[in-house]
Amino acid sequence: MTALRRTVLPFAGFAVVIAAWWLAATLITGKDVPTPGEVFATAWSGLREPEGLLVDIRLSVVRVLIGVVVGCALSLPVGFALAWFPTLRAMFDPIINFCRALPPIALTPLVIIYLGIGEEARLFVLVWAAFFASVVVLYEGIAAVEDIYVRAGRALGATDLELFRRVIVPATVPQMFVAVRVALGVSWATLVAAELIAAQRGLGAAIQRSASFFRTEEVYAGILLIGVCALLMDIAVRLVQARAVSWQERVVR
Amino acid sequence: MSGDTGSARISFDDVHVGFGRGAKRVEVIDGVSFDVGAGEFVSVLGPSGCGKSTLLNMAAGFLAADAGEARFDGERITRPDSRRGVVFQQYAIFPWLSVEKNIAFGLTLKRNRRSRAETEESVRRYIGLMGLDGFEKSLPKQLSGGMRQRVALARAYATDPDVLLLDEPFAALDAQTREFMQELLHEASQAERRAAMLITHSVEEAIYLSHRIVVLGNRPTTVHEVIDVDVPWPRSPESRLQPEFLELRGHLEGVMRSLSGSAFRKAHP
Repeated sequence: MTALRRTVLPFAGFAVVIAAWWLAATLITGKDVPTPGEVFATAWSGLREPEGLLVDIRLSVVRVLIGVVVGCALSLPVGFALAWFPTLRAMFDPIINFCRALPPIALTPLVIIYLGIGEEARLFVLVWAAFFASVVVLYEGIAAVEDIYVRAGRALGATDLELFRRVIVPATVPQMFVAVRVALGVSWATLVAAELIAAQRGLGAAIQRSASFFRTEEVYAGILLIGVCALLMDIAVRLVQARAVSWQERVVR
Repeated sequence: MSGDTGSARISFDDVHVGFGRGAKRVEVIDGVSFDVGAGEFVSVLGPSGCGKSTLLNMAAGFLAADAGEARFDGERITRPDSRRGVVFQQYAIFPWLSVEKNIAFGLTLKRNRRSRAETEESVRRYIGLMGLDGFEKSLPKQLSGGMRQRVALARAYATDPDVLLLDEPFAALDAQTREFMQELLHEASQAERRAAMLITHSVEEAIYLSHRIVVLGNRPTTVHEVIDVDVPWPRSPESRLQPEFLELRGHLEGVMRSLSGSAFRKAHP
């Protein structure tokens, strides 16, 4: 049952949604709703075109990866510092939650003023989003490392540094993966806002370009591809996670 | 009442612990004194909520007394130290390490660093003593509760502590496993002859394992009674049926009943 649940049911979920979409597209006549078939065909021909959607995908994937890698590289030390020192946490927790709640699209005018309209401006938006999304997950996870492991480590004679390196860090690895996955999701969600900043290419830019020409099926195709990329990257991280933290006990429901 | 202080490893000297300040202060432990001598196995028995685990945490160095002090080899205990090994009630072995790496953990720290050969030998010895052969590479998630506590005991023994502090290590196990673990711990402590302080609420467990039992009373907690256990050594499952064992069990169960009863009446007048 669990094997079936894991392999077949996710596809069944997509099938249900696509069927509903197809039904809606055929029933709604007043508005421009392309059928799944039309959208898949549009995406397919876009992908096959030389200098087509594949270029956009490549650019967007690279942007998201840079955003996630830089954002997480920054949030890791900050997360540990906030988890380790309660004073720091009490000081900065509210401001972090404040920044986390700001929609990235609201930041773009300021980013353009200060960083211009180059690649660094787009990356800044992505790094910002990835950082604030992952830092909260990290420090809350690190602070929740079970006290019993810390006590056990101390009773065995661990110094503070040994406790950090050999107990806190390994105990936190599962939380690091959660942080990366959250950062990935948020970065893809922020991509369109980032590519609003005068990007020529990229999936977000492609969607905006299509929208201004009222090519609805191309807008759908762009959204579809963002979803597919985000999903594939999440699956990749989960595969690595399953290997890296195979020691974790999973509660089977 | 207290043992020979010359050979005492752990001693509690008029320990007081409480919460709050001024008029709102509530005494939890109100002047407890007793010793655990070298090579001696002492159980601390008492009704739930009497502060048994608080005393163990003090001996481990996780918390300090408000007045009085806990000493180790005559020195005031201020921090955890690997000369005092601890086994917890919750499963505290590191889930990311295999059985053998858990057991070796203490020996790979700067504080008790050993050569690779010595570490391997020590790990092998305690794997054998705790009956963990064949599970060296297993991860904790693959082990039952009883097996996890055996790893925890082996890990505590491996750093060669002078005292073993056992905080209700078998409380979460089923009755059958618990009895088996008591026998295993008894055999191990016979082989190792280290001082041990066991926190328990099981009369049977206390008698089976101990030289001496310290019975704590209700809050604010004082020492109710100290009993030398005269059940012959070494003990075996048959010991549980010996007259000395049964008589002491009857006595202690009566004491525990009256202590829990009076605690209940105090809480629900």
